[in-house]
Amino acid sequence: MSDKREVLHVGIDLGTSRSSISASNGQRHVIESYVGWPLDMVARKVLKKPVLIGRDALENRTMLDLHRPLEQGLIKEGSEKDEAAVRELLWHLLSLVGVKREERGGTRVHAVVGVPAEALRVNKQHVRKALSGAVESLMIVSEPFAVAYGMEALVHSMIIDLGAGTTDFCVMNGRLPTEEDQRTLPQAGDWIDDQLLRHVNTRHPQASVSIHMVRAWKEEGSFVGQTKTPVLVTAPVNGKPTELDITNEMRQACEGILPPIVESMLDLLSKVQPDYQERVRNNVVVSGGTGLIRGLGPRLEQELQAVGGGKVRVVKDPVFVGSDGGLAIALDAPEDDWERLSS
Amino acid sequence: MPKRKDVSPLKRRLLRELVRENVDLKDNRLPRSLRPGAHRLRTTLRVLALVLFPAVLLGSTQLITSLQTPPPPAPPAGVAVPARPAPPDRRFGAPEPIHADVLPLAVHRVAIDPGHGGTDFGAHIPQGLREKDLTLDISNRLARLLAADGFETVLTRKGDQHLSLAERGARASQERADVFVSIHVNWIEDRGSRGVETYYLGSTLDPFLNRLAAEENRGSGYSMAEMRRLLDRIYADVRQESSRKLASTVQSSLYHSLREVNPVLEDRGVKAAPFIVLLTTEMPAILAEVSCLSNDQEAEMLAKPLYRQFIAEALAAGVRSYADAVAGTSPAEKGS
Ligand SMILES: Nc1ncnc2c1ncn2[C@@H]1O[C@H](COP(=O)(O)OP(=O)(O)OP(=O)(O)O)[C@@H](O)[C@H]1O
Ligand SMILES: [Mg+2]
Ligand SMILES: [Zn+2]
Repeated sequence: MSDKREVLHVGIDLGTSRSSISASNGQRHVIESYVGWPLDMVARKVLKKPVLIGRDALENRTMLDLHRPLEQGLIKEGSEKDEAAVRELLWHLLSLVGVKREERGGTRVHAVVGVPAEALRVNKQHVRKALSGAVESLMIVSEPFAVAYGMEALVHSMIIDLGAGTTDFCVMNGRLPTEEDQRTLPQAGDWIDDQLLRHVNTRHPQASVSIHMVRAWKEEGSFVGQTKTPVLVTAPVNGKPTELDITNEMRQACEGILPPIVESMLDLLSKVQPDYQERVRNNVVVSGGTGLIRGLGPRLEQELQAVGGGKVRVVKDPVFVGSDGGLAIALDAPEDDWERLSS
Repeated sequence: MPKRKDVSPLKRRLLRELVRENVDLKDNRLPRSLRPGAHRLRTTLRVLALVLFPAVLLGSTQLITSLQTPPPPAPPAGVAVPARPAPPDRRFGAPEPIHADVLPLAVHRVAIDPGHGGTDFGAHIPQGLREKDLTLDISNRLARLLAADGFETVLTRKGDQHLSLAERGARASQERADVFVSIHVNWIEDRGSRGVETYYLGSTLDPFLNRLAAEENRGSGYSMAEMRRLLDRIYADVRQESSRKLASTVQSSLYHSLREVNPVLEDRGVKAAPFIVLLTTEMPAILAEVSCLSNDQEAEMLAKPLYRQFIAEALAAGVRSYADAVAGTSPAEKGS
């Protein structure tokens, strides 16, 4: 057991829309969670690559069999292909921090991979199968736990991770979160995109608008509650670029996620031991890209008033919280334990 | 970045638990918390049932009814669609494990789910064939065939729009469909491959679920609240068994009837997999990969309306014989 080769610790956040990696050599990277294989010989010749990842894949999607392998937190349909896609994503992330696929065995990688809580619950073995083989040792953790670990919010706290595919709740009470401590809702970023597209189409039927356009508008102008600045966007109407006011549609779409989120938050709170409820209320952490919706933190605090008030901390730069948390776990885990986990 | 030395006792404890859980996972063992005797077993089962089968209420209460009343008599010959179960009776019966065969979950309404749609093309080839269009076309044909046979049908999408997998399941549930058939066209890396395969929501990829099933017959003397959970769980197992039956009936029909027009077709079999779209439904559910767009000859055939009609007919025949089987009449007995 005295392998003297260098060990690289990494934390990886495998997300529906974005995946990130943080490594012990100081490197951090984020990619979009798309994987595409050229559809035929011609495409392969043009693209000159056997597989394309991230933005590269998205931009060449017409020539690709394109996969976004984790939808709503599970390795989804067409499982063989999606398992392969997850593996490609992982290898690509590793290459970004300097691990070469050909040289595996050169660097020993100890990886903590955060996956949505739902994936862990429903198809753990599936996830592990897709991930193993790329690294020497692997630990799979639920994404909210990685966030809690990274934010030092391990006791009497609630993590609400608003991502693209799912919103994950997790109450931390000093032990590994169990099923009772966690909850997953399908209302998250993608859901808002769908709603916004629907509202805009209804309001401006002549405008041609795609899901990619509304997503970009949302990332610019999302809000709940009041706003002084109207949300103005440009879209082709009968082929001519036209300015549209979508303030109301934006509000409606963003506020649509509030009822289920507030309900789950309050419900999980009510299940916390009475002595600790106040502490948990004062230690709510909102992470994930959809957590960036303007006014969301204050709105959740307002809802907490009904049960005695509380504090909501919104993670301002959510891209790496998950992978940084994973890296912290990887570094903190004793080396003997990593040996036990090697495959 | 050096390994941290000053890890707090709390973190050390959490890391120990995390490692243990992952070692169990790696060795393919049931997580500690689910082993026999673990105090959390039942809660976990309940949560699992809830995760796998959202809104199980309907299913459970139907079950409760069928636990108390004998199965309805077989319908007269020629009628493939017995009436829906009577309104749920909320009293509880004895918590005995039941087999799928004793549950006359009649097939009256069929949810048809055309895979992909909108911005999600599914598999597609440069010649212009796209999975989302093929699945919609085949679904429409299937709906017409089933309607002609006296079934009610519900399409999760009628046009070219994007639907999340959860929405597909939700629509089928809202419409109270009795079975759910999701239609897809496969893409296989080995492009020489050309075959049909059918999936159902199941456990073979997931030893975790298998062991849960094995735990099922432990213990008795449940409270009312626990009874609910138990029923949910039995329903869960029953639904899986029904899904498997539906899958094998449809697969066999697909393979045997399509092979008559397409002799080189491969039987890729019935498989269990935790597909989300199947997870989000509350009725027996399958996902059929009816052809392979990755294969040039298959693609050529798929371009022909007649072949798509054959596929729809094979699917319809599969659904019909499943319906006959659960209604207690063998296809042979069914009058013309
Ligand atoms: N300013 C913003 N306002 C609203 N939404 C935003 C904003 N910025 C990013 N998003 C949304 O955040 C989502 C991505 O967040 P994140 O990277 O946390 O998700 P993910 O980890 O890929 O998904 P999941 O956690 O569900 O697997 C996308 O839906 C994106 O559109
Ligand atoms: Mg995430
Ligand atoms: Zn498909």
